[in-house]
Amino acid sequence: MVNHLVATATRRSDRVALARRLDRAGATLSRQTSPESAEVTVWGPAEDGESLLALLAEVVLEPRFDAEDIARLRRQMLERQLRERTQPASRAEYELLRAIFPSGHPYRETGIGDRRSVPRLDRNRLAEFHRRHYTSRDAAVIVTGPATLGQVEHAVRRRFSSLPEGARLRLAVPPVPARPPRRVMVHLPGRSQVEVRVGGTSISRSSPEYPGAFLANEALGGRPMLSRLFQRIRERNGLAYHASSQLEALRFSGFWTARAGTGADRWRRVVPMLEAEVARVRTSGLPAAELRSVRESAIGEIPLSLESTADAHHLAVDVVYHELPGDFWAGWPARLRDLTPGDVRRASALAFDRTRSATVVVGPIRA
Amino acid sequence: MATRGVPRPAFDEFRLSNGLRVVLAPMADSPTASVWVWYRVGSKNEHPGITGASHWVEHMLFQGSPRYGKGEIDRAIVGVGGELNAFTTTDFTAYFSTVPREHLAIPLDIESDRMTRALITDEEVERERTVIHSEREGNENWPEFRAEEEMFQLAFRIHPYRWEVLGHRVDIERLTPGELRDYYHRFYGTRNATLVLAGGFDRNETAREVRRRFSPLPASGADVRVQDTEPAPSGERRSELTGPGTTPYVLIGWRAPSLHDPLAPATMVLDAILGGETGLFSAGAGWGRAAEHPAARLYRALVDPGLAVRATSEWRPREYPGLFLIEAQAAKGVAASRLEEAIDGVVERLRRVGPTRTEMNDLRAKVGRGAALAYEGASRAGFRLGYFSVMGRPADEDSLYRSLLAVTAEEVRARARELLRPEARAVVHYVPTKGVGSDD
Repeated sequence: MVNHLVATATRRSDRVALARRLDRAGATLSRQTSPESAEVTVWGPAEDGESLLALLAEVVLEPRFDAEDIARLRRQMLERQLRERTQPASRAEYELLRAIFPSGHPYRETGIGDRRSVPRLDRNRLAEFHRRHYTSRDAAVIVTGPATLGQVEHAVRRRFSSLPEGARLRLAVPPVPARPPRRVMVHLPGRSQVEVRVGGTSISRSSPEYPGAFLANEALGGRPMLSRLFQRIRERNGLAYHASSQLEALRFSGFWTARAGTGADRWRRVVPMLEAEVARVRTSGLPAAELRSVRESAIGEIPLSLESTADAHHLAVDVVYHELPGDFWAGWPARLRDLTPGDVRRASALAFDRTRSATVVVGPIRA
Repeated sequence: MATRGVPRPAFDEFRLSNGLRVVLAPMADSPTASVWVWYRVGSKNEHPGITGASHWVEHMLFQGSPRYGKGEIDRAIVGVGGELNAFTTTDFTAYFSTVPREHLAIPLDIESDRMTRALITDEEVERERTVIHSEREGNENWPEFRAEEEMFQLAFRIHPYRWEVLGHRVDIERLTPGELRDYYHRFYGTRNATLVLAGGFDRNETAREVRRRFSPLPASGADVRVQDTEPAPSGERRSELTGPGTTPYVLIGWRAPSLHDPLAPATMVLDAILGGETGLFSAGAGWGRAAEHPAARLYRALVDPGLAVRATSEWRPREYPGLFLIEAQAAKGVAASRLEEAIDGVVERLRRVGPTRTEMNDLRAKVGRGAALAYEGASRAGFRLGYFSVMGRPADEDSLYRSLLAVTAEEVRARARELLRPEARAVVHYVPTKGVGSDD
């Protein structure tokens, strides 16, 4: 809620005035939150870099927290909560996190709270959260575009020097106890499609096993159209429109998800296929030829990641947030080329953990 | 003072003797090259019984040819780090691949092959049938999809915009491999396609390569004009749907001009005043539904006072007259009828008074400055040049942009009075069923 409100209005400009300022600048303000971080980004024409930075500083430093904005956001979040519970895709993600992570774990929540928590968040609590967390020791300003470091540094110092230093707060991520894999079934009548998720805990981005796990996930389902899940479930068997996987290697820990959307008459065939493909990667890693193929694909993709300022910005954020070396992306191809099938097998066994995993099926599943 | 045009890369256009239109936009600094093929075929070319054929053929063009076996197209592009996909609309079907610039020859080879030589075997059609069912089922899970499908069936009685691009369920079950092959051979080919290349390549060398690969193709493929004329509605049309959902959802549609209509720019401004975005010229966001916009009229009248959790408008430019849509999702406890009343109030006020000077000035600034971001990267450049080529000519973008910036408040008011008439609209209410996932 705080990050949404930060990007909504400032002490100088209410929500309408701020929206109009953005329109006049030809700019957009976006916001994003994860279990670990909050991000506010302003996008606009390069020649306005200085004024865009000023606007970003204003929203971060001087949020308004209007009672009307809070009330409106509460209404929107309550509807989103309802949507999360009643849409098979979002309900499946919600149930998966709850099946994997124990109560109190920060990765267990999807970020939109529940019926009890949202009404309790009043102006004082929100402002206090902002005061405590929007501080310079826990923040980074990342600028991507045609400007020199000197220009940017000068402008950032000028605009953000009043950001309070605060204390560096380390997120407490408790270990997840091992247990047999869980299975969660949720019947949602009246829907057309069944959503299947298989997932579990994984490694952090700073783990030395990350590059191997990254390639294993690309082969499993991260590389659209080339992956094992896509090929087996969609291309060979025609069972689903989407079938993919994702490795969320966060700063302190992580989780993996394999997913597919399928029909009420087909999900019983899809579930064992998803589980079997994950198990195959977990136990066998990738044969040398497949490793070579997925590695060259991942290396070849780097120019596409630099197509636009927005694309390049994502790479820059990754480096800064995960405290990677400044030349990380330059050395990335060599790191991938150094990996052997043995490295990938070892990484897969850790990254696609079975002892803290679950399978979730949501949709019109009752006969 | 003359308005500057859209800031975009220089491009060349030419036509091969077999009818293929080619657009080349070299971008010297680009590390990538993006290849797009746009066919002037979409669900507008279908009829009841074969609805969904355009979209299904799009799927089949990834399933192999004599030169590329099943899965080899994906492997060839993704294997070098590229990305590829395709999409089908009411008016056109587009295929794209973006690759590191040194691999430009790969997508060129693929596109020149599948333009006329896709196999579409019986076996692959049967396997793809469940994939397409699954795609449709995924969409049906959303009340917004069901309401929009109902809206177009309500608003159009004759014109092919009446059915959804994915096709009717019964047609997905019934369409035969032979019908899909006939459809492909009728509409695909050099005479009905535009090839667009944008990115890091040499103009002359690439033009030679394009001629070498595409000139030998036979002149084929028909651009068929849709003859069905939709009569003007004789009164308001209404429908109520029920199903799982959160809160009531209201969708109102009015018949709206095509992209080629001189009134299109004023309609775009109308969309921006009500919903906050101009679609084709929104700042950085690209083409699609308007984002939440607190300064827009619908937002201020419906979301601010707690009637709705979101409210916006959308005019999706089409080749033939389509619909201007307003949609709103109710806040908890608000009935669909109350939401509709509030929308009526916003529409009526705009018809009576028109936009303010501030609204017009903000919009001009937003469109004028935001356009600078529209052509960042080879993929976006390929999309925009291709879109305006398939809908007319690339130069149309400039004239549309200039006209958009020149629209006056009075023209917007006149457009609202003429377009948003209560007796000419269609209204769909989607009401959540109690006990079926609703907030009962």
